[in-house]
Amino acid sequence: MKKTLALLGAILVVTSCTGATESPGDSAQSGDVTLLAYDSFTPPEGIFSAFEDETGLRVNVVTGGDSGSVISKAILTAGNPEGDVLWGVDNTTFSRAEDAELFTDVAPVDEGDVCINYDKEWYASRTLEPPTSLDALITPTYKGQLVVQDPVNSSPGLAFLMATIAKYGDGWQNWWKALRANDVLVVSDWTSAYTVEFSGSSGKGRYPLVVSYGSSPPAEVLYAATPIDEPPTGVIESTCFRQTEYVGTLRGADNPDGAKKLMEFLLGRQFQESLPLSMFVFPVNPDAELPQLFQKFAVRVTDPLQIPADEIADKRDRWIDEWRAIVL
Amino acid sequence: MIDSPRPGAATRSFPSAVPVAVPISFLGLFFAWPVLTMFVDHLSWSTVADVVRDRSLRGIAWFTFWQAVASTVVTLGVGVPLTWATVRWTFPGVSLLRTISTVPFLMPAVVVAAGVLAIVPERGVGAILWAHLSFNVAVVVRVVGARWALVGATLEEAGASLGASPWRVFRLVTWPLLRDAVRNAASLVFVFCFSSFAVIAVLGGVTRRTLETEVFTQAVRLGDIPTATALALVQTAVVVAALWLGRQRREPVEIGAATETPRERHTRDRISAQWLPPVVAAACAAITVAPLVVVAVRSVRYAGNWTLVGWRALFDGTLARVGVDVLEVLAHSLVFAAVAVVIAVPLAMLTVRRESTSLVERLSLAPLLVSSVTLGLGLIVTFDSSPYDWRGATWLVPVVHAVVALPLAIYVLGPAVRAVGNDVLDAAADLGAGALRRWWSIQLPLVRPAVLRAAGISVAVSIGEFGATSFLARSGSMTIPIAIGQLLGRPGPLLQQAGFALVTLTALAIVVTTRSL
Repeated sequence: MKKTLALLGAILVVTSCTGATESPGDSAQSGDVTLLAYDSFTPPEGIFSAFEDETGLRVNVVTGGDSGSVISKAILTAGNPEGDVLWGVDNTTFSRAEDAELFTDVAPVDEGDVCINYDKEWYASRTLEPPTSLDALITPTYKGQLVVQDPVNSSPGLAFLMATIAKYGDGWQNWWKALRANDVLVVSDWTSAYTVEFSGSSGKGRYPLVVSYGSSPPAEVLYAATPIDEPPTGVIESTCFRQTEYVGTLRGADNPDGAKKLMEFLLGRQFQESLPLSMFVFPVNPDAELPQLFQKFAVRVTDPLQIPADEIADKRDRWIDEWRAIVL
Repeated sequence: MIDSPRPGAATRSFPSAVPVAVPISFLGLFFAWPVLTMFVDHLSWSTVADVVRDRSLRGIAWFTFWQAVASTVVTLGVGVPLTWATVRWTFPGVSLLRTISTVPFLMPAVVVAAGVLAIVPERGVGAILWAHLSFNVAVVVRVVGARWALVGATLEEAGASLGASPWRVFRLVTWPLLRDAVRNAASLVFVFCFSSFAVIAVLGGVTRRTLETEVFTQAVRLGDIPTATALALVQTAVVVAALWLGRQRREPVEIGAATETPRERHTRDRISAQWLPPVVAAACAAITVAPLVVVAVRSVRYAGNWTLVGWRALFDGTLARVGVDVLEVLAHSLVFAAVAVVIAVPLAMLTVRRESTSLVERLSLAPLLVSSVTLGLGLIVTFDSSPYDWRGATWLVPVVHAVVALPLAIYVLGPAVRAVGNDVLDAAADLGAGALRRWWSIQLPLVRPAVLRAAGISVAVSIGEFGATSFLARSGSMTIPIAIGQLLGRPGPLLQQAGFALVTLTALAIVVTTRSL
């Protein structure tokens, strides 16, 4: 009992101390600007200090859930937002933000391609060429080799569905029927697909082809378990769909002036140059220089598959329903 | 005559001066208000009608139900023998076995699911059942264990000395005393499996969907809040109906011998097969923790070689680049857990009544019956303006943990409190002990093991809670499940290894801290 009481006492002391220091919610002074983002928004530490010194503003980064959660929350709180600037809408979800009139000002902030990645070793050891097109994926040679994500649940999964629609137009449903007959594996999320089922990364799974990003190969080098010079994976460039992320000032922001300055900073060269190695996306600012690792191994195709945002807005839900009916 | 107690005054569990208004207001403010706000703002009866008529949703509801029933059966099948072996008997390593089998409950469900997937390569119902079992055995051990620890051995010995076989003793003496707690545990496990999210998302593939995953899909992926709230309402209705149908008339049970201290009862010489408890305990614990063991092995093994790169990455600053500071994350989670315990356990003690399960006690179970997506979104839309603009407040995180932990703490405490014999308290009252005195000197010492278990389960909920918390805005207060999700959710084997190392580290930390409770 004594031990328990002592522990309880220690706990109370700890909590009362930390209670005093951590209350970001209370600190909405005019000198603060709050940036809302998804959990995987991880800019380099200290990146905002130059901005804070220059403007006298304090940047408060607040995360809460994945991209979908952040957007849903922003829509529910439209007009009385949880922060000033929102990072996390992309071209496949942009219509949801538009419908709710989330932003007073919005701009593209980074881009990247969703592409099929392949396991180099798997194909080399079988003296087989990796596929080079979407067409090839429905041939017997590549039967049972591809793992994709559910477009309802996964943003790369949705982008890949868009890629096939951009490529085949009205014929996309037939392609997916053929893919299903060719034993595609559908999993719910990127993590299950890339880190469990894919043979070319940490999970050493059974599938040598996976829907991931054009920037996944440099990540394999940067975060290799043992240092390597070349990524173990490659990108099938003809399958790439362009994803563009946006940053915007939220309608009803407490600090619209601060938000404007912060947006300028996020689009400025210093921040843009930090994007590749921290979040594995490409800058949109043409002055930003790419790090070596990205120049060597990351893929940003010149002619990606694309669908205009308003067409996505119109048909996204219908496409998803049709996809579910075919594949599930 | 003022001091002389009225007949029956001693039957209250705690001094009547302490109002039940405290837990009621707490749940009213942090649970009922946000959830009702969501329902009032977004629910329309025509949407509910659409949802009920939708054939595919009916299929989803049916799958949700039967997988929850099946999961409950397998969990009890492993959990009850494990509780028997580790609570009734003492042998070397018994408390370690009991502790490690409760660890999966503390882990983010994603991790348990990943472990199961590493053992059973096929997604599907089998994998879901194993993950649910692994995750929920802790509930059985905690809830049933709290009661079993109070069943007096003298009763069983009396039965045995009168010549009853062990099975007969169990059936006629032990089981009637345990029934309540087993039923409580079964309902809890059922509710957890019914509303399980991460396990189904990872192991169900894309074809196995439950009401909870569908609520999330509608609200977060498709942005259809009206359909999501309608589904959440249906989900609550189905689970309440299932619990109501599954209930039985409660028979008041008194355990006269409950005043023994636990130590005296843990003897092994009353069983002829002395090897049986250790073997049962080891086998059940193995089934339960296997998925985590697989993850632990993964943390030191990569591509067929033994390696410590993941563990090194946790502490050498590599993870700063992906925004994870391991020591800070662990510290946050511990502080949140501590606050949640300090809130949930006293509130549970105020709620639980001796004479029977009170209405308050039943109502306070509500947080288990409502989808955490609804609660999470409700908190954000409710506490959005002065003087309740608490959306970004860090303290809201452990408060929400306490909301979710409270029903479990009550489940653990209730049967134990009701097991304390009236005669003891009445005797004390006759001798002139006041309500507070009776509570402090008699009641509290008797239910102390259950209080500690309630604290343990609250810690567990706090550390593992992912649903509602994931919607709350956080500024530099990452919790363990979120950090693990971040590490496992990015390309790069090093980050994966570090993620598995963090899971293992957390498991070890939990074993060490909960053993001291």
